[in-house]
Amino acid sequence: MRRIKSSIVDGVGFDLLLVGIPLVFLILFSGLPLLYNVLMSFQEVDLFSLGDVFRPFVGLDNYRALLAQPEFWPIMWNTVIFVTCSIGGQFLLGFALAVFFNTGFRGSTFIRGLFLVSWVMPGLVVGATWNWILAGDFGVLNYILDSLGLISKNIFWRSDIDYSLWAVVITNIWLGTAFNMILLSVGLAGIPKDLYEAASLDGATAFQQFWTITVPMMRSTTGAVICLGLIFTLQQFDLFAAITSGGPANSSNVAQYWAWELSFRQYDFARGAAISTIMIAFVMIASVFYVRSTRHEVRG
Amino acid sequence: MRYLTSISSAVLLSVGAVAQAEDVTITVWSLDKENQPAMNLAREFSEMDNGITVDYRLIQFDDVVTESMRAFATGQAPDIIAVDNPEHALFAARGAFLDLTDRVAESEIINADAYFPGPLNSVTWNDRLYGVPKATNTIALYYNADAFEKAGLDADSPPETWAELVETARTLNNPEESVYGIAFSAKASEEGTFQFLPWAQMSGGGYDKINTDGAVEALNLWKTLLDEGLASPDTLTRGQWDSTGTFNSGNAAMAISGPWELNRMVEEAKFNWRVALLPVPEEGAQRASAMGDFNWAIFANTDHPDEAFQAIEYFASQDHRLFPEFGQLPARSDIELPPTGVAPKDAALQVFLEQLQYAQARGPHPEWPKISKSIQDAIQLALTGQMTAEDALNRAQTSIDAVLAD
Repeated sequence: MRRIKSSIVDGVGFDLLLVGIPLVFLILFSGLPLLYNVLMSFQEVDLFSLGDVFRPFVGLDNYRALLAQPEFWPIMWNTVIFVTCSIGGQFLLGFALAVFFNTGFRGSTFIRGLFLVSWVMPGLVVGATWNWILAGDFGVLNYILDSLGLISKNIFWRSDIDYSLWAVVITNIWLGTAFNMILLSVGLAGIPKDLYEAASLDGATAFQQFWTITVPMMRSTTGAVICLGLIFTLQQFDLFAAITSGGPANSSNVAQYWAWELSFRQYDFARGAAISTIMIAFVMIASVFYVRSTRHEVRG
Repeated sequence: MRYLTSISSAVLLSVGAVAQAEDVTITVWSLDKENQPAMNLAREFSEMDNGITVDYRLIQFDDVVTESMRAFATGQAPDIIAVDNPEHALFAARGAFLDLTDRVAESEIINADAYFPGPLNSVTWNDRLYGVPKATNTIALYYNADAFEKAGLDADSPPETWAELVETARTLNNPEESVYGIAFSAKASEEGTFQFLPWAQMSGGGYDKINTDGAVEALNLWKTLLDEGLASPDTLTRGQWDSTGTFNSGNAAMAISGPWELNRMVEEAKFNWRVALLPVPEEGAQRASAMGDFNWAIFANTDHPDEAFQAIEYFASQDHRLFPEFGQLPARSDIELPPTGVAPKDAALQVFLEQLQYAQARGPHPEWPKISKSIQDAIQLALTGQMTAEDALNRAQTSIDAVLAD
């Protein structure tokens, strides 16, 4: 008894306890719902069997029905465009800003902090604000583009099938850039300064230093940022709800929004669960890369 | 001493239980807030000396169906619920709502014949009544009388046919001054179906026959309005409330919307506005309009069906207060609405009351959300030019047929 107690206070038991608490929490609040979701995607579910766990098993029928819907591939393609362009934009802008603020000019840390405001704002607020910016008839963005002479006719960002997805991508880049910047800034701060000193003694230009020191030294941070970005982007729901509702004609619909639409607008919970399951698979793959890229961060 | 205490508390408890048994508590779920009817009527009914206490719960519009389904599935459904009319059949067809036919027939307060046909149809499933309409609304054509006169049109003769509507929109359209001819909503949500279905209905179609020539013509007309820039491209993504907002600010000369706009319009619109019946395909064609708003229903697994029905009877008995106090239209033809003293509002009200007679329920069908989605998809595909109106509506018909066949 005493050995168990002492082990808990100081020993392996303490470690197990520390690991155990979050593990139980994860299993209860993430693991079980996840399994329930996967289970549901193989069942026939309607509103009246919502409370049950065991419902008629239908195998892959829900997946087949999904694939047969004409909007399936366009929506998946939209998801790919949304994810790649959002991450690309967020990362490039975030990296540029991080390098810029890393030069350490007066007030740089303060301004860098201010940039985080965009990340702190709730998605729905960001969406509502960008709705006004992107508005077709009286939007600020159209006014600016028009004043610069870039467009001759108003672009209906939210209602034109050629632009609607980009309206959300632009907003999402704005929303996520600051987060990328902060993570990358931390990475930059971790690069030893003597590397740069040695390089400049050897006569390397700033550009050469960037390519041969900064970029390679940032590899694991980059991997982590991109994987996190992938997960956050696949989770991005609020902006779609606030800006385009996936429309017009599904032109800006993506998997995560579609899953919600099927479940809570058409009450087809099984198909909604099936899309979520497909997405879980993708996020799992991303998670593997994330874990691998952060693995050697653990030291000691 | 200890025994004594526990005995006396047991006695007290049982006395309490007896007193409780006389007092029935029923639960009412509705989306009405403080200044809306259900919350006030429920409180009044609860405060009456009838041994019935009402436990009122406010639920959000978007959560009504999912919340109550979940509650019903787990045996925790409320006694009474206010449900959006196109979703009524979803519950009724599955036996989730109590059949009220006999109770209504015996009731001295609720008279089924007094209700407008549209709302009554929405609470009906297989010729039985599964609820009582709570209120109703419909859509008609708002127009800016000043803009009419400025453009040389007669403000006393608003467009009556579809062709006239397009022609009028062309005349009133003024891009230089950022004024669109008309504002309406083709949003990919229930609102889009709500706005489009009447057009199909007055040309001989319906939710089960959406690819008629008339419906194709109607959708092509909507497309004309958008393609010629007579309505904002944002019509595709904007709801009725926001669309009509542009009418109020003078950026659209006409708008299609319902009586829920009246109070805001009285305040915001700085011009003379009026309301006309929805234009019809050609002179003398049958009229139709959308029918909105909620119904009362009692869940089938209630323990207190009599008390619950008594509550609904009380709500119905107060229908004459709906308009003067809460600005909602009763779903009945036997109630005189008193004038409000605001001239344009009173005039508009008369038009809406006339339009209500032609209002048709969406459905009723237990799979309404799926039917509605097919119609929304067709509207959006056609208006964005990805399909012709005909192909889009044929596609919708195919998926609606699949739903109806199930």
